[in-house]
Order: sequence, then C-alpha cells, then structure tokens
Amino acid sequence: MIKRLFILLVLVLFGVMFYNIASNYMEPTELSPLATRYVGKGPEELGAANLVTSVVVTYRGLDTLGEVTVLFLSAAAVGLLLGLSARSSGAEGQPKESKTEASELVQTTVEYLVPIIFLFGAYIFINGHLTPGGGFQGGAVIASGIMLLFLGLPHAKLRHTLLGLLESLSGFSYVLVGLLGLVLAGGFLDNRFLPLGEYGQLFSAGAIPLIYIFIGLKVGTELSAVLENFKGNNPD
Amino acid sequence: MNELLGSLVVLAGSVFLFSAGLGVLRMPDSYNRIQTGTKASTLGTILVLIGLAIYHPAWIGKLLLLIFFILLTNPVSSHALARASHRRHIRLAEETVVDKLEEHETDVAGKKTEVVEGAR
Amino acid sequence: MDLPISTITLSAGLALLLVGMWGMLTHKNIIRMIIGFSLMDTGVHMIMVSIGYLSGRTAPIINEAVNRANALLEVVDPVPSALVLTAIVIGLGITAVMLAFAVQIHEKKKSLSIEDCTESKW
Repeated sequence: MIKRLFILLVLVLFGVMFYNIASNYMEPTELSPLATRYVGKGPEELGAANLVTSVVVTYRGLDTLGEVTVLFLSAAAVGLLLGLSARSSGAEGQPKESKTEASELVQTTVEYLVPIIFLFGAYIFINGHLTPGGGFQGGAVIASGIMLLFLGLPHAKLRHTLLGLLESLSGFSYVLVGLLGLVLAGGFLDNRFLPLGEYGQLFSAGAIPLIYIFIGLKVGTELSAVLENFKGNNPD
Repeated sequence: MNELLGSLVVLAGSVFLFSAGLGVLRMPDSYNRIQTGTKASTLGTILVLIGLAIYHPAWIGKLLLLIFFILLTNPVSSHALARASHRRHIRLAEETVVDKLEEHETDVAGKKTEVVEGAR
Repeated sequence: MDLPISTITLSAGLALLLVGMWGMLTHKNIIRMIIGFSLMDTGVHMIMVSIGYLSGRTAPIINEAVNRANALLEVVDPVPSALVLTAIVIGLGITAVMLAFAVQIHEKKKSLSIEDCTESKW
C-alpha cells in the first residue's frame, strides 16, 4: 500500500514537471547558429546531399566512432553472457529443435526473400549520402534478413569465421580511413582525401560512401552474431 | 480522365479494406478472422495501388514492384499464423464440420509409428 | 486547438516517458521492466527530434525539392536528428545486454520474477 502511494507520488511529481516543460515550449522561427553553419557550408565543403549524413560522419565523426565502439562492446558482452550457458548445459539443446520445423510454403518464401532483403539493405547504406538512410539503418535491415532466415529455416548454419573476419576487418578499415584523413587531408575522419566529384552522383562526397559501407557491414554482421547467440549455438 | 478513373479504383479498394475490418470484428473464431483479414486487405491494398498508378502514370514501375512484394508476403504470413495457432490447439468454432489438418497430422503420425514398429 | 506540431510531439514523448516509468515501477516480471525501459528510450528520442522541428519546413536533404541556394530557409535543424541516430543504436545495445542478463537469471533461478533476486537486499 505504502509502495503504491510512493509510486503514485513520484509519477504525479514527474507529471507536473513535464506539463511545465510542454506548456512553456516556444518553437524557434530560425535555425540556430550551429545549424546555419552546417547547412550553409555543408554542401560546398563536403559535397554530400544528405545534410544529416554530413553531420554524423564528418562534422561529428568522433561520436560515430564512439557509437560503433559501444555497439561492439555490447555484442561482446552478449556473447560472453550467453556463451557460458551454452557451455555449461552441454548438448541438451539439440532435441528441442525438431518440433519447430516450419512448413514448406514458408521455407520456399524465405529462400526467395532473403537475397532481396540483403540487396535492399546494401542499397540503403551505399546511397547514404544521397537519400535518407546510411550505415546503421542498412546494417539493421541486413540483420533482420538473417533473423528471417533463422525463423524459416531453423537448421541453417552461418559460417562463423567469415562473419567474425568481416566484422573485425570492417571496424579496422573504418579507423584506417580516419587515419588516412589525418595524413592526407585536414584532420581525423576528414573526407576530402578522395575527390569530391560531381554533386549528387553516387561516387561523390569523398570518403563518406566508403565510411558508410564499412559501418553498414560491421553493424550487419555484429547484430547477426547477437541473434545467433540468442538462438542458442554460441559462435566461439 | 485519368484522375477520375484512378479515384474510382481507389474507392473500390477502400470498400474492400473496410470489409476486411468488418470481417475481423464479426467472425466467430480466430481462423475465420485470419482468413478474412488477409484476403480482403490484400485485394484492397492492390486496388488502391493500381488506382494510384492510373492517377500518376510516372510512378508505375515502383508501384508494380510494391504490388509484387505484397502479393508475395501477405499470404505466406497468414499461413504461418494459422498453422501456429492450430499447433497451439486454439479451439475451432462450434459450426465446424471437418478439420483436414488434424486428419492429415494423425495420418502422418500413424505412418511414422508404423514404420518404426515395422523396422524393429 | 491551434498547437504547433512540435508541441504535440513533445507532449507525446513526455507521456511515453511517464508510461514507461510507471511500467518499470509497478511490474515484477523482468521482461516487462525491460519493455518499460524501451518505452522510456523511445519517449526520449521523440523529445529530442521534436526540439529541432521548425514549422513549414522540410527534411534536410538537398534534391529537386530543395535546392542549394535557399536551403537555409527551407530545412529543419539536422543536428538533433544526427544525435538521435546515435541514441537509437546505443538503446539497442543496452536492450540486448539486458535481455542476455534476463536469460541468465532464468537459467540460474528458474523464475523471472524480481522478488526472487534477493542477493543485494539487506
């Protein structure tokens, strides 16, 4: 009883605070000075048509490197936590799988759909500097394709060495591109060491498509490894 | 002329979508609900997209791809749902006369035990 | 009611935050607490995106709809969108680790209720 009263009190106090915030909110009428600098100088300096991409990859590129590191740490933590249980319970997971066989209609459709989903995910992260999207969104679409593969064909096995190698190489190449920017152009993760090209084409905006390709591959393989851990076979 | 025809087809599609919603509310058990929900809403969506293609002829390539994708995935997902609910023994309506999936599964189980006993 | 769009989405985000907080405080099942946490996360993202919105303007992408010369007068603030991109990915990582912990707790104690996890109580 006392606990419920306290919970209600906490929620009412937060509600009053939030009501004050929402009622005193005045919408701005002009872009803030920081946004004016990014939107005004962005297309000429960097050559990317998508302004959010130019902010995420170049103007605030170090935050993106930190985010990729956090994602890697959480994938490693999941692998560590769920790997212990697989080793201790031994092989008792095997007989449970025979009950969850999907019907043949679903299996055929999954075999047809998974390459299309991979193609769509690759399209999203290759065109990250021209249309909405980018590395993280494309990687998530690829991981959802792999989840469909696990649901439709439960006995499908992924090649763990290839996935692990792809993930590590992509992360390493991302930092390498940043160092190339430091050596050949203005600073770390500067994208001007490749030619800026014609505005709005696929091969433009310097190194931004290259960075997004590496981020997309890394996020896609990482999330697939997390899904495989949750499914039960620990990829050591 | 294009606009009138396109709008009429979109109206026909919305009639089918409305009937899908009505069917989901009024059917007696969950298998019937899955069936009406899928069939009527797939047809309604395809008609709306065709009407849109008549209205804006420049978008016809993308809309045909969308129609193909919906036709591929909607029936398969409802099939998976119906099989899963049958496996969980969700009860059928009282008016049901025959349950073919139940007969098929007992046949298959019967043949499997025959084979095992014959091999022993 | 003549409210601008950003106030409506700001209130929706704050309401989601309250609902998520209620969910975390009242339920005893660990999975429901994780769902409450995920709701709070989504609420915070909605608040951050709605701060950058200006009325009557469009998305910050330069193509045939918005041309380069008057981009300053026609686009929405791109910085909060970029920050929310990072925040969504980090929310995903945290949820994955929480769910892995929940799986391990279920293996060791055979129950998903938080009343059974009494090691830190005194």
